[in-house]
Amino acid sequence: MTTEAPLLRLENISRSFGAIQALRDISFEIGRGEVVALLGDNGAGKSTLVKIISGGLEPSSGRVIYDGAERHFTSPADGKAAGIETVYQDLSLCTNVDVVANFFMGREIVKKYLGVPVLQEKAMEEIVAKALSDAGTKIPSLRTNVEHLSGGQRQAIELNRFVHWGGKLVLLDEPFAALGVEQTRRGLELIRRIADQGIGVIFITHIMSQAFQVADRMVVIRQGKVAGDVRRSETSADEIVQLITGEALGGRARSIDQDNGQAHPAA
Amino acid sequence: MLPRVVAGLAADGAGQFQAAALLKPASLKPVRHRRNTRSRSMVSSNRRAAIEFVLDHLVWFILIAVLALFSLTIPNYFQIGIFANIVEQSTFVGTLAIGLSLLIIAGYMDLSIESVMALAAMVVGILFAKSGVGLGIAFTPEWLVVPISLAVALAIGAMVGASNALFVVKLKMNSFIVTLAAYIWGRGLVVALSGGRSAQELPAELRFLAIQRFLQIPLMAWIAIIATLVFAFILNRTPFGRHLLMIGGNPTAAYRAGIKVDRLTATTFVLAGAIAGLAGWLLAIRTSGATANLGVGMLFQTFAAVVIGGVSLKGGVGSLPGVYAGVLLLASIQTAINLMGMPAHFTQLIQGGMVLVAVLLDTFKLSIRKRLA
Repeated sequence: MTTEAPLLRLENISRSFGAIQALRDISFEIGRGEVVALLGDNGAGKSTLVKIISGGLEPSSGRVIYDGAERHFTSPADGKAAGIETVYQDLSLCTNVDVVANFFMGREIVKKYLGVPVLQEKAMEEIVAKALSDAGTKIPSLRTNVEHLSGGQRQAIELNRFVHWGGKLVLLDEPFAALGVEQTRRGLELIRRIADQGIGVIFITHIMSQAFQVADRMVVIRQGKVAGDVRRSETSADEIVQLITGEALGGRARSIDQDNGQAHPAA
Repeated sequence: MLPRVVAGLAADGAGQFQAAALLKPASLKPVRHRRNTRSRSMVSSNRRAAIEFVLDHLVWFILIAVLALFSLTIPNYFQIGIFANIVEQSTFVGTLAIGLSLLIIAGYMDLSIESVMALAAMVVGILFAKSGVGLGIAFTPEWLVVPISLAVALAIGAMVGASNALFVVKLKMNSFIVTLAAYIWGRGLVVALSGGRSAQELPAELRFLAIQRFLQIPLMAWIAIIATLVFAFILNRTPFGRHLLMIGGNPTAAYRAGIKVDRLTATTFVLAGAIAGLAGWLLAIRTSGATANLGVGMLFQTFAAVVIGGVSLKGGVGSLPGVYAGVLLLASIQTAINLMGMPAHFTQLIQGGMVLVAVLLDTFKLSIRKRLA
């Protein structure tokens, strides 16, 4: 899919906590504009992996190559500065202020009068209106407090904010856990639109149908290893379930590992 | 702090579903856009805006209603002199309320303000008053006592604020307990410094602010009003104020967005202390000195005014003009009690009731907002 350098490449990432090996030799990559679903049973190591990618944890060994260079993120702030961020539902919004304020949280446009910084509400509102309409997101009023918006709209604000401020790779951990059917459908559309703007999206889910609706590729983690890395078009729900649970870890999964190896001969 | 956030989220989530169920039967208008299954955002948006407006400015409506009621029922209530007196009385509680509001909006609490005010007043009294425990320090030219005494009062307030900030922000102690301690030791220090005696006779240059009037209102009351307006501007129109609201709403999100939460919180504690120092300076000028029990009970009046004024105890919600209206409301009630010739202890009974009513109102408004969400 990507002939040029991938957005993010993980090479032989391992991570242990004392005697416990949470991740063993994880290798996979994600390109610009690609949506990868990260699947796996509870305790398979998905969260650890997400933390390593976003900078929350450092790997015990292995290399993280992002945007063409090897990186050593030591904190989520490092990751964020580089354009990688985990978007947690609702944890990143202040519901007591309006959409514009949330969009510009911490980066408000100000003009100084006699040395006093004054918020430029009009300018900020115009930028938010443009960013949201470019992304095809509709919010009734940008001056509504976020507490009055639906879960889907909140997610849209967070993702659009992320894109607007130069985000390149977004990690979504169970993004639709609290959403209804209709909102989830819109959320999946939103993920697609975000990816179409050239953003890499990694999303963790337990729900197979969501992965099949939106992901280009699915990476299955089992017992800290990549059990499978398959294109959506070349797999089936049954096969993914088998990969997750480890039943019939037969020829298919092994051949996938080889495919994966071929994808980056530099390793 | 995190549990609060999580609880808030859970409540929000539950509120949404409830709201959808509750608002549907109330909206009589037919749903215009069929394909939108969530009708609440459009059908009720005007109504919601109206209710929001009333909730946001509830205190002004109450104030107008109460003033109208008193004017109609209490003889001699309706005159300029009475209203000017209400504004004058509001000076100290009004000033204290600014700092308390900022901290409650940021999600903290400051119980120390009353003692900080008394401490600042006592130090100003001791340094510049001419009799009692006063040392009667004077300057040439004599008006220099105005900026110097103000600086002293602000510095004392800021120092106590900084000590509160140290315990709350650096040592992660609960702000309620830390400032309760400061409330107690602050008053103790006032008594210790003065030996229980009072300082009298501040210089005329200072007294000028309490005596000289503009539009029938003494200059010191104007100082409180101007301070309220300045901080209202800071809260609504500057990044500092915006970030304060965000910290009160969701400190985790603010932190994740790169806002320096700790530094901002510490600054706010220092500010609240300095503002209490300002209140102490004004109070010393008004009483032309200080006594050891100066301003006792103002904390609870301030607290009631802040909550009645629309600052939510949950944090993240509030406006300073509203708080000033809350202060005016309390002062008008007090004036009515005086005019009716009720015994003074009734004031305290009613004020206790007002604190309860204020918190009840806060809860009530919160549940209405939930339903609107």
